[in-house]
Parts: sequence; structure tokens; C-alpha cells
Amino acid sequence: MALYEQITAIYPSLTQSDFHPNTGTIFLQNDSDGKGDYIKSWTNNNPQPTEAQLQATGK
Amino acid sequence: MSIILDGTNGITSVTGAASLCTAGPAFSAYASSGTSLTGSSSTKILFQTTVFDTNSNYSSSRFTPTVAGYYQINCGFQAASSVDNQLYIYKNGSVFYQGQESTTAGSSLSSLVYCNGSTDYIEIYAYVGTTGTCATGATKTWFNGCLMRSA
Repeated sequence: MALYEQITAIYPSLTQSDFHPNTGTIFLQNDSDGKGDYIKSWTNNNPQPTEAQLQATGK
Repeated sequence: MSIILDGTNGITSVTGAASLCTAGPAFSAYASSGTSLTGSSSTKILFQTTVFDTNSNYSSSRFTPTVAGYYQINCGFQAASSVDNQLYIYKNGSVFYQGQESTTAGSSLSSLVYCNGSTDYIEIYAYVGTTGTCATGATKTWFNGCLMRSA
């Protein structure tokens, strides 16, 4: 499941604009190396979720 | 630098050719298989097919020129459908230039980038608002560049 969906499951108030490179505070990246999406930078007021929190979303 | 123009033969002599890069690296590649683009994420676009690579500086969708100088970098991509998208030139793993945000089915971006001729490398990333796949083909999703001026 996409990292975006995991994060928004933890913080339902987040919208797509929070992830937009121009307007957002959460920057997700995928290097097309088979490792999938990851959090490149996080400056959102909410704390950055841990890997355990992301996995717990079940997404 | 001086260029001698002959009224009959055109350019007949060039000296001090600091900006005349007749043998500088040039490459061109395109996507022959569509890169999966995750919505709300920036993804490295893969350009699997090399059209030309004059100095063997292009590999794994990354351009690492071995001649120091100023490179004209061009790229374009098409998504499978109209989505919010933005194209990026990455240098050494970080955003170096970003294109105009677009809500059509693709965009393109060109700029000059200095590369040190050893460790600097260039890659292309795209942000999309909705998950999809890059269109394939030499005319749709492409990445090319060449040395414009040596260091």
C-alpha cells in the first residue's frame, strides 16, 4: 500500500496539498530501485510516524 | 577564442575553443517501459533505452559526465492521463531545478547544469498527484543532454 495512504490513515486531516512539493511539508520520494516510497523530508507539525506506526495501519 | 569566417567557405578556423564542444559528451535516452508513479510522491523516471551515448556517461537512467562543464539537460514525460504533475532535474540526489506544475498529461523541462566531471550526476524525477504510469516511447518520455561549454 502506498506510503501516502499509510500516513493519511494516521493523520486523517492531512490532504494532498500537504504532500505537494510546492505547498506541502511532507516530501515522499521513490528512487525506482525496488525499495518503494520513503519519507525524504518531514517538516509537518505532526510528528513523523515511526515504521511501526505505518505498519500498524494495515495498509 | 577567435573564429575566422571566410566569405566562400564559412567558418575556416577556430582557436581557443573553450566553448566549442565538438567532442563533448552527449546522450539521449527514452522510456521503453513505463515507470510506475505513486500518487503524492516524487519518483525517479526510468529511461531504459539509449539512443546514443557518445562518452559512455549514461547508465541506469543516470547521467554522470566525465568532462567538467556546463550541460544542457532536457527531459519530458507523458502520464497515462491528465494528472497534477511536475518534473524535476535532480543533481546528486536532490532537486536542482523544477518545472512548471502542470495538470495536463505531461510536461517538459530544460536547463543548464554544471557538472564537475567526476562525481556529479543528473537524474529526472516526476511528482504526480494520482498514481499512474509513464507513457513509453522516444517521443513521449525522454531524457537527453550535452556539454555546452567546458569548465
